[in-house]
Amino acid sequence: MFRIMKKSLATGVVTGQYPAAKSPTEPVSREAIEKAKPFRRSLTIREVDTGSCNACEMEMNALANPVYDVERFGVHIAASPRHTDALVVTGPVTVNMERALKDVYKQTPDPRLVIALGDCAINCGVFKGSYAVTGPVERHIPVDVRIPGCPPRPAEILAVLDRLRGAHTETDE
Amino acid sequence: MNDGSAAVERIRGAFALAITDIGSVHGVPMLRLLKQDVPAVARYIHTDPHVRGSLSLLWAVDHRPREARYELCYLFTLADRKDWLLLSVDLTGGEREFASITPVVHAAKWYEREIRDLFGLIPVGHPDMRRLVRHEHWPKGSHPLKKEFDWDQVLGRVQGEYAFRKIHGDGVFEIPVGPIHAGIIEPGHFRFSVAGEPILQLEVRHFWKHRGVEKLFEQQRLTEAVPLAERVSGDTSVGHGLAYCQAVETLLGVTVPPRARYLRSLFLELERLHNHIGDVGAICNDTAYVVAHAHCGRLKEQLMQLNDRLTGSRFLRGVNTVGGVSMDLSGVQLSQVDAELQAIEREFAGIEKILFANASLTERLENTGVLSEHIAWDHAVMGVVGRASGIDRDLRRDRPFAAYHECPPKMAVYRYGDVRARMRVRLDEVHDSIRLIRALHRQLPMGLLITQSVEVPTPGQWAISAVEGWRGEIIYVVMAGAEGRIHRCKVRDPSFVHWPAIQWAALGNIVPDFPLINKSFNLSYAGNDL
Repeated sequence: MFRIMKKSLATGVVTGQYPAAKSPTEPVSREAIEKAKPFRRSLTIREVDTGSCNACEMEMNALANPVYDVERFGVHIAASPRHTDALVVTGPVTVNMERALKDVYKQTPDPRLVIALGDCAINCGVFKGSYAVTGPVERHIPVDVRIPGCPPRPAEILAVLDRLRGAHTETDE
Repeated sequence: MNDGSAAVERIRGAFALAITDIGSVHGVPMLRLLKQDVPAVARYIHTDPHVRGSLSLLWAVDHRPREARYELCYLFTLADRKDWLLLSVDLTGGEREFASITPVVHAAKWYEREIRDLFGLIPVGHPDMRRLVRHEHWPKGSHPLKKEFDWDQVLGRVQGEYAFRKIHGDGVFEIPVGPIHAGIIEPGHFRFSVAGEPILQLEVRHFWKHRGVEKLFEQQRLTEAVPLAERVSGDTSVGHGLAYCQAVETLLGVTVPPRARYLRSLFLELERLHNHIGDVGAICNDTAYVVAHAHCGRLKEQLMQLNDRLTGSRFLRGVNTVGGVSMDLSGVQLSQVDAELQAIEREFAGIEKILFANASLTERLENTGVLSEHIAWDHAVMGVVGRASGIDRDLRRDRPFAAYHECPPKMAVYRYGDVRARMRVRLDEVHDSIRLIRALHRQLPMGLLITQSVEVPTPGQWAISAVEGWRGEIIYVVMAGAEGRIHRCKVRDPSFVHWPAIQWAALGNIVPDFPLINKSFNLSYAGNDL
């Protein structure tokens, strides 16, 4: 017990110790911000991997570590699509995952947002054209926000989530 | 190679009539066999006390349009000195059947099902003929790695359902999990059959993420496919990139400059480091021990930020290129690495002390998810999982690549095969990786970073390369096609071997312990599904 406390005291606060994100290349649309308004201070997200290489998942997981600590901004990660405000989809949609993605979308209560995370979700990336890939996410379900990158850095994901919550627009109170 | 050729002599003595030719592929002895004799020879290699080969890879090649034949190749790693031995057999004249070796070599099980799905070749005598890669909605006759199958065609959709193995009895019920899981993880399906709490049977149903990686390789040029290799399994970008580069370098006859070899080892250890530290934290998290998870999470983040500063990629992408490395590290950068790793090692040692002092954590980890040495051997398990089950294998020592000749690793082998052993292997390897990075830095030679090659390999030439990634042995087989293109690229992530083994490790454990067991294996879905 003493050891744990000593460690925690010696470590201090690490939250926020990361280089600032370059501004997102793809702006968050006004419609998306409008759509996110009901959730504003507490966006619950569910991550769905439809065929990524796992790098995007690792960066999503990194958001929950003490350095980024996404919960301090009211972003929660839910275990079920039924508890979800926003679906974060990674990877090109594979032939085998197509149905699962559509099912998840159906299970997500309206209003709902879809965030395509990473180049593969946006344009299939290096897997484009393959027989086993049916296309980018927006071919199957409507996409509201795009976060490009291979993979996007956690700070970049945070920046987009920030904008989505209206933190950087004049509509913010 | 003495041991390998001694094994060849023994096999020749026992099966003189079965062997049609003895050759070698870049120093690896290769026996060409008659089709019907493969199971007997495989059984001999697997069980003979002087040979004791474990199946490391089984793959098929469609040689069309150059030659109208399919070839099956079996790669064995011999127990004594970890030499390789290849068997090869041809299917000519429209033959589609081959004799399954699964009844005698258990490790062949998934490979043969994979070959059936991707090539339409039938392993006669295989005990499990269900589909593996192609889910049931794929139309009949769609075998993507046949040469006449267009890489970009649109697959139709038919009706069909996978038949899970049923367990019958009073109070037995099934728990289906996935493909989409509760956490932020990749998709896969687990079907538990339980009676009360203990798991009676676990069936893994994967390949949801099959993206057609091997077919995509065939559309690329030999020297340009590194980015694809780095995205086979994103967490192992360096491991896969390096394995691919080494195979192509062997084909092109390129000798990588010493400085590049050292930097490759250094990057590979950096990758091992952040993954192992992350895994230790994640194992603790699955026992609800969040303090350790938080500390490991921040150390992992520190390492990934270091990667980003060094190479511009948190996953060290783009460092490997055919012929060497694409970026150098300056003396200043290397000193920064040293300083940062020194701090991380000190911190990590502190966390270790906390972990070992925690009796309730130990209680959860000990005797959980035991993979016995016997089952591990039968499934040809290696890497972290193997070393936790007494399988003393590490390619960095056994078949040194990059700079591991000069800087060999210290082995961490445990025998218990439980979650704790798998965590201890990782703990030891964290310290060893830091030691290796220091040693690599100290001995880092000056010189060129890349050797250019103008050679174009003749179509049909091929090479194998293997790299000890942080999970285990990553194997690439690359065959050259016409005009510097790829004819065939077989990718084998260690996860493909370990998924069948996890089905055994879970038996008898309670369902709530499965996430913990799964975490201690931490297998890739993307690298498995391809």
